Amino acid sequence: MSVLKLAWSGAIAATVATVLATSAAAQMELRIIAPAAPGGGWDQTARSLQQAMMTEKLVKSAQVINIPGAGGTVGLAQFINNKGDGNSIMVNGFVMVGAILLNKSPVNLSQVTPIARLTEETQVIVVPANSPIKNAKDLVAAVKKDVARVTFAGGSAGGADHIMAGMFVAAAGGDPSKVNYVPFSGGGESLAAIMGGRVTAGISGYGEYEGQIKAGRLRAIGVSAPNRLPGINVPTFKEQGIDLVLTNWRSVVAPPGITPEQKIALDQLMERTVKSKAWQEQLKQKGWVNAYLPANAFATYLQEEIARVGGVLKSLGLVKS
Amino acid sequence: MQSQDRRVDPAGIVVAVLLAALAGVIIWDMTTLQITQTYGVGPKAMPIVVAVGLSLLAIGNLVLAFRRDFPQREQAAHLPIILILGGLVAVIVLIAIGGGFIPAVTILFAATATAFGRRAILTDLAIGFVLGTAAYLMFAKLLSLSLPMGPIERLF
Amino acid sequence: MDPISALGQGLLVALQPMNLLFALVGVLLGTAVGVLPGIGPALTVALLLPVTFKLDPAGSLIMFAGVYYGGMYGGSTTAILINTPGESASLATMLEGNKMAKAGRGGPALATAAIGSFVAGTIATVGIVFLAPWLVEVAIRFGPEDYFALMCIAFITVSATFGSSPIRGLTSLFIGLALGLVGIDKLTGQSRMHFGVPELLDGIEITTLAVGLFAVGEALYVASRRHLVQETIEPVRGSLWMTAQDWARSWKPWLRGAMFGFPIGALPAGGAEIPTFLSYSTERQLTKYPQEFGHGAIEGVAGPEAANNASAAGTLVPLLTLGLPTSATAAMMLAGFQQYGLNPGPLLFAERPDLVWGLIASLFIANAMLLILNLPLVGLWVRLLSIPQPWLYAGILVFATMGTIAAKPSVVELIMLAVFGVMGFLMRRYDYPIAPVVIGLILGPVAEQQLRRALAISLGDPLVLVESPMSATLLAIAVIALVAPFVMRGLGKFKAETD
Repeated sequence: MSVLKLAWSGAIAATVATVLATSAAAQMELRIIAPAAPGGGWDQTARSLQQAMMTEKLVKSAQVINIPGAGGTVGLAQFINNKGDGNSIMVNGFVMVGAILLNKSPVNLSQVTPIARLTEETQVIVVPANSPIKNAKDLVAAVKKDVARVTFAGGSAGGADHIMAGMFVAAAGGDPSKVNYVPFSGGGESLAAIMGGRVTAGISGYGEYEGQIKAGRLRAIGVSAPNRLPGINVPTFKEQGIDLVLTNWRSVVAPPGITPEQKIALDQLMERTVKSKAWQEQLKQKGWVNAYLPANAFATYLQEEIARVGGVLKSLGLVKS
Repeated sequence: MQSQDRRVDPAGIVVAVLLAALAGVIIWDMTTLQITQTYGVGPKAMPIVVAVGLSLLAIGNLVLAFRRDFPQREQAAHLPIILILGGLVAVIVLIAIGGGFIPAVTILFAATATAFGRRAILTDLAIGFVLGTAAYLMFAKLLSLSLPMGPIERLF
Repeated sequence: MDPISALGQGLLVALQPMNLLFALVGVLLGTAVGVLPGIGPALTVALLLPVTFKLDPAGSLIMFAGVYYGGMYGGSTTAILINTPGESASLATMLEGNKMAKAGRGGPALATAAIGSFVAGTIATVGIVFLAPWLVEVAIRFGPEDYFALMCIAFITVSATFGSSPIRGLTSLFIGLALGLVGIDKLTGQSRMHFGVPELLDGIEITTLAVGLFAVGEALYVASRRHLVQETIEPVRGSLWMTAQDWARSWKPWLRGAMFGFPIGALPAGGAEIPTFLSYSTERQLTKYPQEFGHGAIEGVAGPEAANNASAAGTLVPLLTLGLPTSATAAMMLAGFQQYGLNPGPLLFAERPDLVWGLIASLFIANAMLLILNLPLVGLWVRLLSIPQPWLYAGILVFATMGTIAAKPSVVELIMLAVFGVMGFLMRRYDYPIAPVVIGLILGPVAEQQLRRALAISLGDPLVLVESPMSATLLAIAVIALVAPFVMRGLGKFKAETD
């Protein structure tokens, strides 16, 4: 009930503040923190936001600031220091949730003010084209037979790929703490390991493997999205009877301690940004899927994800508590 | 000088002690690791290899010290080193407290130039300021590199 | 369409006046940003990518290529002239290059770097045209154990930088290996040696270490000895241009450098550092003037710089044929393609040959542009060294701090720069070689990760290291490289005795 109530009062406040916020935001000198080096996913998201906001004249100015390091936790630590600053937002995402736990970061996402979820990408498990494994069931059988001999290649330890490997093994009835996950730095290296037949299977964002899947060098045995996605002719794990749903989302958050008015202004700004034509164009160009959630809905979602990721990391033995 | 040849070079002993201490730190840090890899070699193997190597090299350097196998060193001037390091410390402090890039660079430039024997501190401060401003305008404004901002940078 | 006529068409597009202008602008911008230490070609491209958004695809790709090569050349220029490597791949170039510059031979050093880059880049481009499909099949068969074997070869070649005393060299190397432990362990995700400092979780930045040890360390050392020796740098001693002897000593290293750089660059985890150091130590072994190494031997500039450039072209092989971005730069190129809704990959050659060949042609043009632009400027660049010493070193320190803070906006990074500077000073004073520290930091973590990956996949069976023919061969080469110098020395002695 309290969630509903909160949402209702939020809606009223939003309506009242809309007019005010619209004019306020247009005067805003926004700073967008990308807690990563130029070129990465979060940086690209930050720069796309900047471009969309500037083209649509939603803010007076928007500046992207890169604070790279340690899965974004270095940037997060600095961001939290801007207490009460209603003119900064930070791009983050699923990966940061795990990085905080893994790096034993002294700061965490419960300290920031969630503003909006922006995009999501489905994850995929692939095997080499000549692999005897034809579908998710075969891989489940292999895991059941000997979990150690099923090697998964993917990105950094504790990242989305690793979490998914653990979830798959658990869903297949194996012991997630025994998963043989081999992290590689960068998609290129892991792709080579999969195509060279060094590992049993590979896990990554769908976009990273798309070209190889279409060219028939890799076989996609399942995607982690809840439903089939347009343009992706791969069955979900759910429809293959495996309880595995995971999306790699990206979002923006504001510093702690901002006033309700500031929060509404940012919420409004994001809503108008994601609905703008310029943002839609950015999505299309980058191949991102819109997954917009406004501030309050995203706050709830974030809580759930933090709990879930924490559980998986513990079952993988990566986080001891 | 003959009598000195029999003595041990203290520098070599310091190096040996430092290497042994580094090895100790590595081993101590290694023991704090909680998670061992499930398959193959774990994260503790490499620290052990490095620490053992460093310990052996500590002994090796000790031998060098006893053989006086260290280079003859001339007297080093202290003032220039203090000036340059002071300049670097000033940069670190200024940027840490939000003083900005241009003043930091101005001080570093003047301090280094003085360390290399120039005695025209005002001119060098001016040159450093111009250099810093030019670099800031070019890299931060034209090429969108993010450099630390302070009161002066906000003017642009 | 056959490769040659396709390349010809690409060249025609790239040679249009407007596109040549874009190439020029790209090269200039790239050089301007690339001279900053810590800002390598990948970051340069990332920063300047928005500029290229506004152009048409052909113009954009050409400017892109210009920025890339400009960034790379900028890094080597500062390495040679002011002992400040712009990126880790120009470290090997710096070892001899800066010695040459100090001896008044900066002109020939810059020239052999520029021409060598051009020659190697051209060879590598030809390599892409004819060998890409074949090479890539070899490259993806290269597994963790093979990389580990390659690292073993690389470790043995480090000894080329040890100087007079093996104990001192090994001491430096192990300090580098110890520094390599800092940060998140890639295989388990937990952190080592970070002492609660979050900035250390990503490990120690190679350029911060190199700039601190070389540039800051040298400034401290020279300043501390100023009252003893008045070191004057003569910008030009002898010929500004390469002499006939310089040419004769350069061309073979260029070719050999390209042979190291192109195939290793094509490996998904090959990188540019290993081929440059392999080239350096090879040239050191093969040279007819071994006494010049360590004091400015032109072979030591020509080889590594060629290897650097060829490895950059090598990374295009997996990118264009398979869509694998195997380096930060390749990932940026991918972003460049994606601006136009293209996904490089197995189908790209078939679907959009015009763009692929356009890119290859524009790399060629950018390389040529750089050569045309920079050779006349060599004289000007070298004049940098005639700046009075106080201002020159002050300027170097300003650039070093600027590059460091721009690459990683954190005070911790600057503190590390200062600490490494002091370390570099002390190592110079007590006669420990500096290069092995940096090499240890580069090679240590890679070797550890690849070995552990290999053993994780084999479930701990060490036989995996010798089972694959590739790794067995590479390990055999490593053993030969280790033993050969002793055998040769023994033979030499034997020969001398029998004579």
